[in-house]
Amino acid sequence: MILSKLVGMVPKKRLLEDRLRNVVMTMVAASSVALTLVAAPVSGASRSTVIHAVGAENEYANVISQIGGRYVEVQAVMSNPNTDPHTFEASTSVAQEIASAKLIVQNGVGYDAFMNQLESASPSSSRKVLSVQSLLGLSNNTKNPHLWYKPTTMPLVARAIEKDLSSLDPIHALYFEARLTSLLTSLKKLDADILSFRSSRAGVKVATTEPVADYLLQALGLDNETPFPFQADVMNGVDPSPEDISFQQHLFTSHLVKVFCYNAQVSSPVTLSLRDLAMTSHVPVVAVYETMPTPHFDYQTWMIAEINAIGEAIEHHTSTTSL
Amino acid sequence: MHFIFEPGFFSNTTVRTALVLGLLVSVVSAAIGVFTVVRGQSFAGHALTDVATAGGAGASLAVISPLIGFIGGGVLGAGAMDAIGVQRVKGRDIATGVVLGAATGLSALFLYLVTLQTSTTGSTQTILFGSVFTVEPSTLPDALWLTALVLATLFIIRRPLMMSSISPELAQSRGVRLRLVGLTFMVMLAVAVGLSAIVIGSILSTALLIGPPASALKFSNRFSTAVVFASVLGTLATWLGIILAYDSYYWSASHRGLPVSFFVVSLVVAQFVVANVLAQRRRVRVVHATEHHATPEQVGWI
Repeated sequence: MILSKLVGMVPKKRLLEDRLRNVVMTMVAASSVALTLVAAPVSGASRSTVIHAVGAENEYANVISQIGGRYVEVQAVMSNPNTDPHTFEASTSVAQEIASAKLIVQNGVGYDAFMNQLESASPSSSRKVLSVQSLLGLSNNTKNPHLWYKPTTMPLVARAIEKDLSSLDPIHALYFEARLTSLLTSLKKLDADILSFRSSRAGVKVATTEPVADYLLQALGLDNETPFPFQADVMNGVDPSPEDISFQQHLFTSHLVKVFCYNAQVSSPVTLSLRDLAMTSHVPVVAVYETMPTPHFDYQTWMIAEINAIGEAIEHHTSTTSL
Repeated sequence: MHFIFEPGFFSNTTVRTALVLGLLVSVVSAAIGVFTVVRGQSFAGHALTDVATAGGAGASLAVISPLIGFIGGGVLGAGAMDAIGVQRVKGRDIATGVVLGAATGLSALFLYLVTLQTSTTGSTQTILFGSVFTVEPSTLPDALWLTALVLATLFIIRRPLMMSSISPELAQSRGVRLRLVGLTFMVMLAVAVGLSAIVIGSILSTALLIGPPASALKFSNRFSTAVVFASVLGTLATWLGIILAYDSYYWSASHRGLPVSFFVVSLVVAQFVVANVLAQRRRVRVVHATEHHATPEQVGWI
């Protein structure tokens, strides 16, 4: 009462407050619209005969669908090539997908820890959860979580997926097995590409922003000159030390590396200015990704495209700024 | 020398940019901070840092310069606080609190959208806690003219500002337009907060804004002396903070440097504690002196 009296005594102020209230209301309305847009559920009516599966990262989702074919409907949680999966926050639609999934493939090593929370929020005894970390027998202290860049990872994951799909849907076990065989054959082709790359270019020095492709670089026999603390700082979204930044700059200005593998999904002012410096120093830049770039790739063609881009950079000094 | 300055300290462009920015920010914060403390608007100053956070987060979302975001947000916040009534002493905390809450909510939305829509990583960390080692050298000219703008404005309005800070009634009777002076001050405060946000982060910019001026005011009640003293204290804290952060890279075998903002804020707090202890002793001496019939003016206290 007293408040309204006070306000009433100053009509000018009241007008201002009304205007302010309008502004606030518009802001609230605008932000709720934004939220509904963001949270729009991923469409997909699941037929009862089809196994509903979820891949926490779209490269795993892709492998599930390569094996499951028409008997599986797969959703990928993280698939936007323009965002950083390290900072991903799960929405309610993700929780719904997980609740209805019969098979889940997730990376582990803290990369997609939200999956565990969402799974325990909707417990199910019939759901199968494949953790790539435990498939590979890795500890929680594994420093580099980007396991799908390891050439030995996907054959193991694919076999485990086939096994789970066949036990969920035994009638189509032969179908899954046949598709697994053809996937394993094409993964062998990838291995052959890696070996031939290694035989001619092992020991070539490269720089990185982030450990995303480090396992692949190791398999290719390349020497990553970037200090690991720098890579870990960029991955974790904290500032790299000035010492590491100037070392990285030195790698480019003194032409100590042949390629700069730039993580296109984890950028910061530091990585952006390093990319510019690499360009002006004529060090070719190759974009590497956290999740599989869509829609032209499957897991194998993506890896081959990265290998070819790195090869092109070494042989012909060409940059590949996006796949 | 190597004991204090680890190798490469002076040849490192990142460090040089940080030192220059640290100096500018310390001087601006000192000048505006002395008035903020005297006017009792520390809370308003802190609220502006939260509004600046929203601006910085918005800038990160729109992929524009964080400096523009911090200052744009701060100036808008200053306007909003003035509109709701930050000038009246009675409604001041409410106006400040309302704007602070709204701004923080907006920051939450923007920072979430940043993770959904951009590949930018570590935005939250950078915006809240600063990253002076990652500031582009191209930001320096902007920082320089903004520093000049704040200092020049403060110099021009210094008399009405001092008077209205000490006694609004007296100032009004002398024809000072309180609201205009107050609003101008708030806008300059917003610019200062934005500048220091890029050095030690939006949340921590309060530390630089309030700490050195509060320490300086323990020793001098003269505005000009306090501003100079606070500038020196602030610069010492930021520069020493930068040196320690740079050196911290060599403290552990894993070569993980510690954040600059931590060191700067620790030093600001340490200065304040020391200033308090010294001022306490001095007051005892003053009391002692007055007992011997000396006036406070003679001891130089007033």
